[in-house]
Amino acid sequence: MPFDVLRVDLGENYAMVSVADLLMDGRLPGNYFAQDLYVRGSTELGLLENRRGDRLLAIPEPLLQAIYTGLEKETGQASRLVLYNCGRWWGKNFYARFCEELADYYQQPLANLAMAEFSQALQQCWKTHGWGQIKLDMTYRDQGFLGVDIWHSPFTKAAPASQTPSGDLERGILEIFFSQLTGRELCCAQTSCLSKGDDCNRFVLGLEKRLQRLSSLVASGQPHSSIMQTLIQQG
Amino acid sequence: MTFKPDSLMNSSAQSYLDPNELTALSQYISSIPERIAVYRTLRDQEIAIMQPVADALQQHTQASDARLEQSLCHGLMVMRHVAMAMLLDDNHLVEERLKGWLPDIVNVHDTQNLDQQLFQLLDQQLGRVFNPSQLSLLKPSLAQAQALIAASSGPSLHAF
Repeated sequence: MPFDVLRVDLGENYAMVSVADLLMDGRLPGNYFAQDLYVRGSTELGLLENRRGDRLLAIPEPLLQAIYTGLEKETGQASRLVLYNCGRWWGKNFYARFCEELADYYQQPLANLAMAEFSQALQQCWKTHGWGQIKLDMTYRDQGFLGVDIWHSPFTKAAPASQTPSGDLERGILEIFFSQLTGRELCCAQTSCLSKGDDCNRFVLGLEKRLQRLSSLVASGQPHSSIMQTLIQQG
Repeated sequence: MTFKPDSLMNSSAQSYLDPNELTALSQYISSIPERIAVYRTLRDQEIAIMQPVADALQQHTQASDARLEQSLCHGLMVMRHVAMAMLLDDNHLVEERLKGWLPDIVNVHDTQNLDQQLFQLLDQQLGRVFNPSQLSLLKPSLAQAQALIAASSGPSLHAF
């Protein structure tokens, strides 16, 4: 995967480390998305906003349930596609805003940020917005797959119980987010889902041609680990 | 945030403060000059306090400069939070702000051992700078930060 740790080691082994140099820019980056700092409110106007003043919105669970039910009723099988496309739309904007906020905060372009900081910020951002806990799983990185696990997802929790994964919204967000991040056209598929009784939502990102068999494996009800084994063996 | 006056005001929304709460408030207020003095020292002497820690740490370890610098950044960042928590007498500030962040950052940079050494050295250094009653103001938050670093040893998913 085209993830690089971009931090530069200057290799000045014999110089003493200077604390003053570390403080040169006058600030240390911290937990930008810390909940008590990030979420603010303008109660007079009845608005929630983030620390930059962008609008935030709390969505009640019944509304989420209503969206699933309403879509199912009006569009039937197409409802998944609708959610997936909404997710992609959302993900595109989310990526742009996320990058902008981090670049402003760290006062450097996102490309200069170490993968560690980037991934930590994404996790904290996800959590602070109330979207559950997101974790990147690099186990299959060398085989060209990136795993993303989302725990406690409010989106699939509100989805009706199903035999097949129903995290289409998240699938769309992740697909576009990581495609933009890596500069490759990635495809995202879901292998396990809260709404079918699994412990969390697991997603796999990779090139489309390598994920072709995945939908039939998921449909046959195989667990995540054996799906991944099959994907890797097919090369 | 549970800044002491804040939590008192929350509890007083429907009734007067009880005598214990009033006592807690006046104790906090009378401790403010000392808290500000400690805060001012930490702020103004940030480099003077941390540089000897950096030098000692560098002598004690084979770690690369990049990892040393990363660890020092953790130390500096934690101290800024500890200072604010001490000023506001907010026992939860350090944990709330750093819980979702510090253990992850320590994990991905793999600086846990280095950080633990750094905080031991920092403890000694603070002992030279502050008297015991001033130290006791800093201890609870420092201990929380150290516990967060110790908790970062779990299996990491970040195999970068």
